[in-house]
Amino acid sequence: MVELACQHCNYKWDYQGEKEYYATCPRCRYKVRIPEDKVPRVGRKKLSLESKKKTLTEKRPVKLRGIAAIVNKVVQEAQYDKGMLIQILLKLQRSFGWLPKEMLTEISKQLEIPLSQVYQVATFYKAFSLAPRGRHLIRVCMGTSCKVRGSDTILERVQNHLSIDKDGTTLDGKFSLETVNCVGCCALGPVMTVDDDYHGNLKLPDVDRILSKYR
Amino acid sequence: MKNLTLRIDDKDIPANEGMTILEAAHNAKIEIPTLCHNEELEAYGACRICSVEIERKGRTQLVASCCYPVEEGLKVKTRSPEIDKIRKTLIELAAVSAGEEVTGRMRELASEYNADLSRFRSKVQTEPTKCILCGLCVRRCVEATWDTAIGFVGRGVRRRIATFPEKVSVCTNCNHCYSVCPTGRISSIGADPKFPEVDDILAGRE
Amino acid sequence: MEKIKRLSSRKDLEKLRQEIKNNRDPRQRIVSVSVSTCCVALGALKVVEAFKTELEKQGLKDKVRLKDTGCSGFCEQGPAVTIYPEEIFYFKVKPEDVPEIVTKTIKGKQILEKFLYRDPATGKRSQKLQDIPSYKHQLRLLTENSGKIDPRNIEDYIAVDGYSALEKTLFEMSPDQVVKEVKKANLRGRGGGGFPTWIKWETTRNAEDEIKYVIVNCDEGDPGAFMDRSLMEDNPHSVLEGLIIGAYAIGAHQGYVYVREEYPIAAENISIAIKQAEEFGLLGDDIMGSGFSFRVKVHRGAGAFVSGESSALMTAIEGKIGEPRPKYVHTAVKGLWGKPSCLNNVKTWATVPLIVLKGAEWFKSIGTEGSSGTAIFSLVGKVNSTGLVEVPMGTTLGDLIFKIGGGIRGGKRFKAVQTGGPSGGFIPEKHLDLPVDFDELNKVGSMMGSGGMVVMDEDTCMVDAARYFVDFLLEESCGKCIPCREGLQVLSNTIKDICEGKGKDEDMLGIQDIVTTMEEASLCALGKTAANPVLTSLKYFKDEWDDHIRNKRCTAKACRALINYYIDPQKCQACMLCLKECPVAAIEGGKDQVHSIEQEKCTKCGACYEACKFYAIRKLSAEPVPPPPPKGMKPIRKRKN
Repeated sequence: MVELACQHCNYKWDYQGEKEYYATCPRCRYKVRIPEDKVPRVGRKKLSLESKKKTLTEKRPVKLRGIAAIVNKVVQEAQYDKGMLIQILLKLQRSFGWLPKEMLTEISKQLEIPLSQVYQVATFYKAFSLAPRGRHLIRVCMGTSCKVRGSDTILERVQNHLSIDKDGTTLDGKFSLETVNCVGCCALGPVMTVDDDYHGNLKLPDVDRILSKYR
Repeated sequence: MKNLTLRIDDKDIPANEGMTILEAAHNAKIEIPTLCHNEELEAYGACRICSVEIERKGRTQLVASCCYPVEEGLKVKTRSPEIDKIRKTLIELAAVSAGEEVTGRMRELASEYNADLSRFRSKVQTEPTKCILCGLCVRRCVEATWDTAIGFVGRGVRRRIATFPEKVSVCTNCNHCYSVCPTGRISSIGADPKFPEVDDILAGRE
Repeated sequence: MEKIKRLSSRKDLEKLRQEIKNNRDPRQRIVSVSVSTCCVALGALKVVEAFKTELEKQGLKDKVRLKDTGCSGFCEQGPAVTIYPEEIFYFKVKPEDVPEIVTKTIKGKQILEKFLYRDPATGKRSQKLQDIPSYKHQLRLLTENSGKIDPRNIEDYIAVDGYSALEKTLFEMSPDQVVKEVKKANLRGRGGGGFPTWIKWETTRNAEDEIKYVIVNCDEGDPGAFMDRSLMEDNPHSVLEGLIIGAYAIGAHQGYVYVREEYPIAAENISIAIKQAEEFGLLGDDIMGSGFSFRVKVHRGAGAFVSGESSALMTAIEGKIGEPRPKYVHTAVKGLWGKPSCLNNVKTWATVPLIVLKGAEWFKSIGTEGSSGTAIFSLVGKVNSTGLVEVPMGTTLGDLIFKIGGGIRGGKRFKAVQTGGPSGGFIPEKHLDLPVDFDELNKVGSMMGSGGMVVMDEDTCMVDAARYFVDFLLEESCGKCIPCREGLQVLSNTIKDICEGKGKDEDMLGIQDIVTTMEEASLCALGKTAANPVLTSLKYFKDEWDDHIRNKRCTAKACRALINYYIDPQKCQACMLCLKECPVAAIEGGKDQVHSIEQEKCTKCGACYEACKFYAIRKLSAEPVPPPPPKGMKPIRKRKN
């Protein structure tokens, strides 16, 4: 098992396959080079006929690869508890960035919950995204205090600047825009968060300045 | 099981502890209309058509009779001008998403309460779906097969019934969903119009 | 760090507390920087780094202690720095100012005027917190320690007599006595309902089941409210202590804390607090050797306002969607997984240790007859000093807004104050002398709710404000029952038409039927109270609604479809600022040529209005727009006085 880091999307995961030179990043599908000193060496002994027959007939434990392995790690930590479905989905959302269909199917298999129920939960809550998100997530607060201080114009300005709509992602995959109902910084309205950074007391020129910092 | 008596429409009705007002009324052949209720399934309380007026500790309030447990000496009224008006408005509100082309139980109730199904339709611009999201088809399917082919997705006004393409093989055409649908969305040959696939809903194509 | 010894008796805790107090020299120099979310948004973490570097540079690293604390309530004045033991409060400190502060104040003991608190209304500077007008009128019981202790260090909390209420409960009182004390104090739920807490506790206590649960509701969905976030971030141990006392009184051995997804720092702080309490033996098996065991788990929310409702919160903890269920059988009898569960708000739990320690009589002496104790409000919107204020129940709204809030920003006129979040309503000027408590606000159609208080001035359109709340609830409704889901949709579209000038008088008749149905027949409190903002707006500001419908005019000049922007050629100085700001290039003009707006291109975004420094742009509503000035008209230059 080798820990690899994708140089394109910064995603880290434990690679359990047997390739020698390149592995595929589960999140963005780019080819990631395996460092030479970490290449898993698979012995290539000539197997006799009897040992070949033996390896074919004896049962091998199923080794989970790719998304199934990622899901299994989180589900094991939660001790296969069905009640922790939302917490498991939150952890996967935070580390993987979004919830592809294969992930939801794996969760349904490993936790033994009907697929329709997993979908029901994943589409009910706003924190989960079933489509890939941009690298930076912009959230404009639309709480009462922010609205009274003009958050509508801030949202419009962001939409114009990035040429996307609410709940959209830019074509180059850099930004995703979302509205959120109150982040709790009401005294500093209007507020916008980009990833984990909060920006308060916004005026229209600030929006351009902040967005250009993340480009 | 304790036996107790409650008063429905000025009549003393016997009931067992643990029953709901709706069950007690049905046993005594008193008619309370419902849309999202089915005897074989657990009470859901989504349509609110079964609302009745109860009097308790001097205060009157409107409750859903399918979920309210019976109490000794409870006073219940199932029809009155206010209750009729509320039921009428509820059917008209249900028609906002469902449209005017509904058949089945909903059409019967609409004519009984003189509801104008197109009263609020002019306020919205969405396509009529013939579905009031009562959830009977989903709940029935869950009873029949644990891993259902249809389910709810979304929240609020964006809540829809969707099919899961991987699970369509699970559907055995038992037609139980047809037998419980109150608006005629599901006919004997399947849903008409068909339920959208979940991928289409998420991509915004539906 | 030395190995922490698990406290196994009451004496151990008292000994530890004495040890901590003895190790702290009251004359030691401490610099505490507030690192709650609002201050971090204004750059507090950079200030902390700057202090670290500067103290090291000047060789004061061992003599001066640098501490992270919570917030002291002046949210817009951050980052806030306090210097002990002189108790000098500095506000709006930037990283560039740190070297000066270290040299002049910490080393030189000189107070720098420019960093002292400056009253936004009067401009006066105050050194001591007690002199600040907005601070003077408050009674900070729950939030007293927020600016003084490090929330991630349990020893700070123990040093200010933390966990002594728990000590008293476990070793001097029986569970029945605790419930009696809470009953005598008349503690009412601070989550919004105002339900007497002792009834909930007693119902859960008397329910016939071995397993019981206690739950902390930190899903503060109300927009404009952040009291729970502040309490959870700045003093999580007070909530934890109250929860353990409550669990002892009810007989529960498992507790849950539900924190919403948008509060990452609060969730982190409470998790650290739970871990530290477990290490010290204040949580887990056999707490302090008393024989009582209790464990707590933290659950995160996932972005749904409706999951703040008690039955929906319990289904969310069970891992299902947050749909409320009818509460004809109370959750105190059948709640989480069908077991008796007692759910209370963060502020309610945090008040319990105070009642146990100082007595029910003391608590009842504060506040009014029907509502005892203090209330925490988040005073935000168009007031001069926004922030968290804690006042005794019974303070009037006018005092809150004008004495503590410092009046309306920019010298404008007060119009309405919105209390109670989306379930509350608008209160106009004529009711400003209303005392704030659970029952009084209900009489005028609003409610106290969790404590959000948004102040609106003459530039806020009341029809638009009602529409905002209806849209908010429409998005957050769970969609299970017909009246809420469809009723809100129809209401939203009707009010949208009114705001765009397409309203008709007949629309208002249909609204009345829908509102009655929603109020009577909805499944949960979200649907039942959804129409309150619309009803209060109609009741107190009917003239604005009539203006919108009949005259197609927006009185506050806020609804975009009903206003036009116009540049006054007599005032325009041709500075080209608005020209550059306009996103659709709708302004014509040049360096020496008066500007004018092309009305067909204008999207009414208001960027030019914000940019103009000469007040040359006016908003017109239902008035004919004057023709553009003649081409090439030169601006009338104002003489600089």
